Amino acid sequence: MTTEPSSLERLLPAPRRAPAALPHWRREQARAFATGLAPALFVLAVITLGPTVYLLVTSLTPLDPVHPHSALDFSDPVGNYRTLLGDGRFLNSVWVQTKLSVATVGLQLAIGLGVALLLNAGSRFLETARTAFILPMVLPPIVVAVIWKVIFTPDVSPLHRSLDALGLPVRSLIADPDLALWAIAVADTWEWFPFTMLMVLAALQMVPDEPIDAARIDGAGRIALFRYILYPYIRPTLVVAGLFRLIDSIKAFPLIYVLTNGGPGTVTEVTNYYAFVESFNFSYWGYGSAIATVMVAGVLMLSWLVGRLDAEQQRDE
Amino acid sequence: MNRPSALINLSAAAILLVVLFPALWMLQLSFRQGGDIFDMRLVFVPTLDNYRALWTGLFPGSLGNSVIVSLGATALSLLLGVPAAYALSRWRFRRRRALALWILATRMAPPVAYTIPFFLAYRFVGLLDTLLGMVIIYLTFNLALVVFMMRNFFDGVPRALEEAAWIDGAGVWSGFRRIALPLAAPGLAATGVLCFILSWNDFFYALILTRTKAMTAPVAIVNFMQYEGWEWGKIAAGGTLVMLPVVAFSVFVRRYLVRGLTAGGVKE
Repeated sequence: MTTEPSSLERLLPAPRRAPAALPHWRREQARAFATGLAPALFVLAVITLGPTVYLLVTSLTPLDPVHPHSALDFSDPVGNYRTLLGDGRFLNSVWVQTKLSVATVGLQLAIGLGVALLLNAGSRFLETARTAFILPMVLPPIVVAVIWKVIFTPDVSPLHRSLDALGLPVRSLIADPDLALWAIAVADTWEWFPFTMLMVLAALQMVPDEPIDAARIDGAGRIALFRYILYPYIRPTLVVAGLFRLIDSIKAFPLIYVLTNGGPGTVTEVTNYYAFVESFNFSYWGYGSAIATVMVAGVLMLSWLVGRLDAEQQRDE
Repeated sequence: MNRPSALINLSAAAILLVVLFPALWMLQLSFRQGGDIFDMRLVFVPTLDNYRALWTGLFPGSLGNSVIVSLGATALSLLLGVPAAYALSRWRFRRRRALALWILATRMAPPVAYTIPFFLAYRFVGLLDTLLGMVIIYLTFNLALVVFMMRNFFDGVPRALEEAAWIDGAGVWSGFRRIALPLAAPGLAATGVLCFILSWNDFFYALILTRTKAMTAPVAIVNFMQYEGWEWGKIAAGGTLVMLPVVAFSVFVRRYLVRGLTAGGVKE
């Protein structure tokens, strides 16, 4: 962090010569930047690369608390992965995850887009409404889970009480094997539609006024205006927002933990939850690591896709 | 933009009410008397009994842990991340893009992938159920966030000002301290608040890596459910206390929310 202004001054024959042109100053600058970058990169490597490598290594062993010495037992390195392929509960969890992800991402895109279009006008009230609409996504996920546990628990639920009063009593949605997953999808959509809404609002603000005005003069209605003018502008944003939600949907946990515990049976047990159960309820750390490794691979593929799309968009602009 | 009609304002208000209703329901539940919980009438005598009950239990300790861990994680990630972000913004070196991608990837990884190795390592070195252990694991998502957000903010500070300072003999880091950092101060505040919110909101890591001593407030709420029976009033009061600081802060960082949550994935 120390600097040597005096030595630099001696190197400056003309007072306004760009310092970048001086090799000595450049070297010094590079050294200073490297000093600023190094601690963060070092810590990041230790806390992210380290665990990832450890995870991979553990996934090649049968490690569990009963056999503590199996941490370095590589006699059957792909054993866990072979088990995975024949593990009905794992395959079921992937299917549950797929259903949940498709439903929530679709709903969040649709509702987020709808609300964004509604709020995309300049009034003080709508400005305030935007801030209020983001509440669900900033709430601690555990609070979201508590909120929806109340809604889905017949004793205390305003929903169930109203239905009872109307003479339409229903079972608790989260106890019904056919509906539990959709109950979670509703809660998850509530939590995250503000994210797509904010991204779409930001994109709508970038749409120039001229084509909209021109279309209006030509007599375009609301639907035509959206279909031919707005939609082409915000389509890339929708794709990126959807991918981000898709990646995050793979991490779903607190809602499932509090609302259903993966049940009834395993109908709401997503892969993330199954990895948690294997690793921390049963302590099959080796097997849990294999499941987590498969998840990391999936997430990396999706992230790569986000990076590609983003690069393509920048090229188009 | 054209001025919205009354119809648009009205429908926005109606939708907003529907969206906020579940949260408001929990809020009113927290002010109800024990016996009143199952009463659906909207008019009732509010009471602070549930909050009082929380205050005499173990909950304040968990809330304190949440504050310490969140503040600690925020401070440490800013301390490490801000200089790194500045270097990434100003220093043109090869592999700069690859480095940025790597930092983004660390943020995308599912938490369960980190918890297994961290759990095993913490058990070995004795960091399980410690505040320090929680601060360290929160760096896994906060540090990348700080680097990305602050790099964006530094990119917005004109280079010319520092170049002038450099010519006048200032070193890289004194230019950073005296020019770039003060100009990026609003960004620094927003980044700090976002780090705090993300750490405060964490449930998954705390559930697995803490037991009693370092238990944070979100885990304490779940324990009300599992070990103390279904005391809805108390659960709702705990939920309200945990969400309050976040609600207050979020108004302040709304503009940066998307940028923070997508951390480098989208250009603005």
